[in-house]
Amino acid sequence: MKNLAVNKDYAMNDEQKTLKYLEEVEAKAEEILMDRQEIVALDKRRNDDRMGERALRNQKFDKTWMAVGPLLIKMSTNSAQELLAKDQRECDVEINKIRSDLRVKVNQLRDLEHTQSVPGLMLNPMSREEMLAVNQVLGKSL
Amino acid sequence: MAAVAAAKVQEVREITRIERIGAHSHIRGLGLDDSLEPRNVSQGMVGQLMARRAAGVVLEMIKDGKIAGRAILLAGQPGTGKTAIAMGMAQALGLDTPFTSMAGSEIYSLEMGKTEALTQAIRKSIGVRIKEETEIIEGEVVEIQVDRPATGVGAKVGKLTLKTTEMETIYDLGNKMIDSLMKEKVQAGDVITIDKATGKINRLGRSFTRARDYDATGSQTRFVQCPEGELQKRKEVVHTVTLHEVDVINSRTHGFLALFSGDTGEIKSEVRDQINAKVAEWREEGKAEIVPGVLFIDEVHMLDIECFSFLNRALENEMAPVVIMATNRGITRIRGTTYKSPHGIPIDLLDRMIIVPTSPYQEKDLKEILKIRCEEEDCEMADDALTVLTRIALETSLRYAIQLITTASLVSRKRKSTEVNIDDVKRVYSLFLDENRSSQFLKEYQDEFMFNELEEQAMEVA
Repeated sequence: MKNLAVNKDYAMNDEQKTLKYLEEVEAKAEEILMDRQEIVALDKRRNDDRMGERALRNQKFDKTWMAVGPLLIKMSTNSAQELLAKDQRECDVEINKIRSDLRVKVNQLRDLEHTQSVPGLMLNPMSREEMLAVNQVLGKSL
Repeated sequence: MAAVAAAKVQEVREITRIERIGAHSHIRGLGLDDSLEPRNVSQGMVGQLMARRAAGVVLEMIKDGKIAGRAILLAGQPGTGKTAIAMGMAQALGLDTPFTSMAGSEIYSLEMGKTEALTQAIRKSIGVRIKEETEIIEGEVVEIQVDRPATGVGAKVGKLTLKTTEMETIYDLGNKMIDSLMKEKVQAGDVITIDKATGKINRLGRSFTRARDYDATGSQTRFVQCPEGELQKRKEVVHTVTLHEVDVINSRTHGFLALFSGDTGEIKSEVRDQINAKVAEWREEGKAEIVPGVLFIDEVHMLDIECFSFLNRALENEMAPVVIMATNRGITRIRGTTYKSPHGIPIDLLDRMIIVPTSPYQEKDLKEILKIRCEEEDCEMADDALTVLTRIALETSLRYAIQLITTASLVSRKRKSTEVNIDDVKRVYSLFLDENRSSQFLKEYQDEFMFNELEEQAMEVA
């Protein structure tokens, strides 16, 4: 009888362990998917900024209406352009940051899933000149 | 999708293997389970459990990059599956790890020095992993609009609308971009990529949503899905090149010879030194990883003492591959000397090696192997015929029995039967002599042959 209780205890432990493990994996995977979404949203904002900047440059008035969140503000074209450029730079930085973090997270997830990490993921990229030389080896001419 | 592509790549690789070593074309891996225990019959491998398990352990160490610069010797009697194990290891290593296979006597037949041939073989077995990173804009063209000045001269202006499944945006185009879009004949509905750094445009195909735009499409029209996610993507591709390939490119005077990669004769040692320095620099900068691969030398007793001492030294190099050797010799003369040594390999080199023995196959293993080979050679065989063939394999050799499969299937086809029966096997057994019966015959009719010298010793191969 006692033996059975012990066994049951083990089973409980195992169950909890499995649950915890699955939770970890799912959380990590969710995080990665969220990051992907975030990149898409940021890229969208970056492209909108670019289009806005382009539109401002093509018009002749020195004051413009601009929607900042829920507000519609009238400001000078110059400062509007600056605002957009700044936002674009921020987006760039943020996207690059997420992308670098993503590499680490993907490897962590693969580690959790007991698969091998993606080979060469953490390498620094080759420069363009170096790639030209290597492409010759790979049989691609650019 | 990716899995399908990977499977295709695998297929291509296997075909090249089949062409090179037909006798082991049925081998798909080492046939081990996840805990490295060998399954009795799996992936074309049969029996030889101890050797396969040992090979599996070695394989895991290679994958972890732990035993670079060491050597493994597969030793055993002829026809005990040494080459099969090496092939299995090569298959199991996967695409990314370089595997070079050579026969010991190859180094004498090439038009270059022995050590040069060995150096090239070694450098073919060391991979350098690098990463290419490009920023691209990838999307489906929604609209492309170009305004030409009425006079026909002057700058053109235009707008390009691109979309993915998530977003859509408009790009203003300059003169140069318009020209290259025109050149690529990009139109609405195409899926294109634009390289951010070079501005190079690449047409991937037409979007599926536009598949019904025209009734007739050329056969070269490729339909692709509208890209997902962000427009401006970062593409990372990891390449593995071997040191030898890099050597070859850099030893050429001009690039046209790229068509004939490989046969370049000797490579200057300065070139190799330069490459080594460059690769070391890349590793320092975190731009490259060394992937120690596997060099397989079959019939290693055919190497001579010079090669052995060269190998001895080469193994100490920090960028040395794993060297797997196979031999079927017992205690014999080391080539190039008068000394005898186990396996025909100097003792000091033997000392560095992990030795994996292979033992003769059991009867039921032989039967399994013959069955697998029958499948591989598209030959249906009756059960009793297979039993007889197994018997033959046991008494003569496995190789002889395997050769009888194809010949027997030809004989059975001659009498318009789809299945090989016992008579076919008997017939080819009487038609083709095995090694034993052939020497028996020679001994009996010695006098009637030319140039017979009775006092001659048995053949000295080494």
